[in-house]
Amino acid sequence: MPTMPSMPTGHSRSSTSKLMRKETGGGAGLLTMVLVIISLVLFTFNVGETKGGLLTSVSGLVQTVVTPLRVAGAHIAAPFVGMTNVMRNLTADEKTLTELIEENEKLHARNVELEEAEVTARQLQELLDLRNSYNLQSSAAHVIAGSTDSWVSSVTLDKGSSSGFVVGMPVTDSSGAVGQVIACSATSSTVRLLTDEASSVAAMIQSTRAQGMLEGSPDGTMHLSFIRTDQTVNVGDIVVTSGLGGVFPKGLPLGKVSVVDRSPGSTYYSIVVDPYARVENLEEVLVITSLTEGQQATAEDIESSDAADREAASGVAESIEDDEAEEDEDTGSKIDGEADAGQENGEDAEAVEGYVSPYSTQGEEE
Amino acid sequence: MQVNDTNKNRRSHFALAIGCFLLQVMLSPNIGMEYGRINFAMIYAGVYALAVGGRRAVVAGFLSGLLCDALSTGPLGVMGCLFTIMCYALGLEERNRFSDGFVSSLSAFGVGAFLVFVFYHIALSMLGESASLIDILIRRVLPSFALTFVCFLPFAYYQVRKSVGMRGKHAGSKNAGLRENYYDIRNL
Repeated sequence: MPTMPSMPTGHSRSSTSKLMRKETGGGAGLLTMVLVIISLVLFTFNVGETKGGLLTSVSGLVQTVVTPLRVAGAHIAAPFVGMTNVMRNLTADEKTLTELIEENEKLHARNVELEEAEVTARQLQELLDLRNSYNLQSSAAHVIAGSTDSWVSSVTLDKGSSSGFVVGMPVTDSSGAVGQVIACSATSSTVRLLTDEASSVAAMIQSTRAQGMLEGSPDGTMHLSFIRTDQTVNVGDIVVTSGLGGVFPKGLPLGKVSVVDRSPGSTYYSIVVDPYARVENLEEVLVITSLTEGQQATAEDIESSDAADREAASGVAESIEDDEAEEDEDTGSKIDGEADAGQENGEDAEAVEGYVSPYSTQGEEE
Repeated sequence: MQVNDTNKNRRSHFALAIGCFLLQVMLSPNIGMEYGRINFAMIYAGVYALAVGGRRAVVAGFLSGLLCDALSTGPLGVMGCLFTIMCYALGLEERNRFSDGFVSSLSAFGVGAFLVFVFYHIALSMLGESASLIDILIRRVLPSFALTFVCFLPFAYYQVRKSVGMRGKHAGSKNAGLRENYYDIRNL
């Protein structure tokens, strides 16, 4: 506690306070005038300022700085805003409420419609992107029905021969190839999906360029066959169309390798492919009406494919020959055996010569 | 006259400023009645002017007003000018006017706040923000004033309680009058 000084006796407490107040009050008055003038100057400049002026920028800066706080405030105040609405609703009359209910129903229906339109627009945009990126000569179509029977995995499109569609045209969606047109009427066409048992398409592993045939199966999975075991295939490899056969454009995505199985003594891998296209949810598709030269398999591709077939065929022949020789040694009839082996080898050689490339088969099928 | 302008008071006024700023930024834009919004900057300026007064209240009012202008879409300087004048008028006596009682401080703030809102909206209407005087008064001035005044109540109640408690402490001790005079002179 400070020591109390001796107080002046000539003035009372109130008169001292009044004196002080008068002195400082004068200072406050002057300061007020100065600040009022500053405010008015700011106001005048701000009103006369064009867009992007200094004061507008300062105001904009403040608004920017406090934006995170405002966002947080909006979350905090959400329950209070709801309470305000409750109060407003309680005071609303019957007519207003009826009108609001009707309007709400209309808006709800409209909202659903717009959401559908948005999804469709997105799908079409994706198709357009695919079309642009692969430079496809194509026409868009809408899927109007699924399989008409339980034997064929197919979809029906809303366009047919009147739109220039013919049997054999490949069909894609935004994620890649989905199938091939197998029947065409004037206004609709049927597409056999890649997952159908009877479906097959020339395909290759994107990374290693190993070529084979992608076939559907009854259980809905896809199998990549005719990939020789001396080639490299890994789980996760991307499978694309090879362009052989001249039906599907080269390089369209088909799926991803999910299982690679190599049986002992087998010439080919057993490969399961997970398709990219969700065939059960198809809505908008592109029907490829023609291929440009760059989209077809090159002569080199065809040559390498044929070479691979020849190698595979000779491998098969050698394997048969070895088996027969072992068999003859076991029986002990060397002379007869040689003669028999020669004869049988000749038959096998004929069989090898008659071996048909899967791509030519596929080409015929396609 | 600063009788109790201790560090504690300064800290509490600083906390009040921060609190009102946050409320102004976070709560004010989201809670409203018609076009009216709570003006926490005005509440801070009012509390400070009534509790402290003098030059500091004028500066506080000016700065609060400028901040209010910057946070709103209106032109810069209108609230600054009006808050400055309001704080000068409320803090003219340079003493803690909350010690006069709850009703007295409420009425002083109420008159000041109402006039500020009226002049502010008239100024904006002159700039073309709104054409109808009825619209200004019914849908803008009165809701804004009502909301701000209601939100001022707890602040005023707290300040009145605080000032009455302090006065009670001094009244209970010996030489209370002498001590007050001593602080008056020391704080000049």
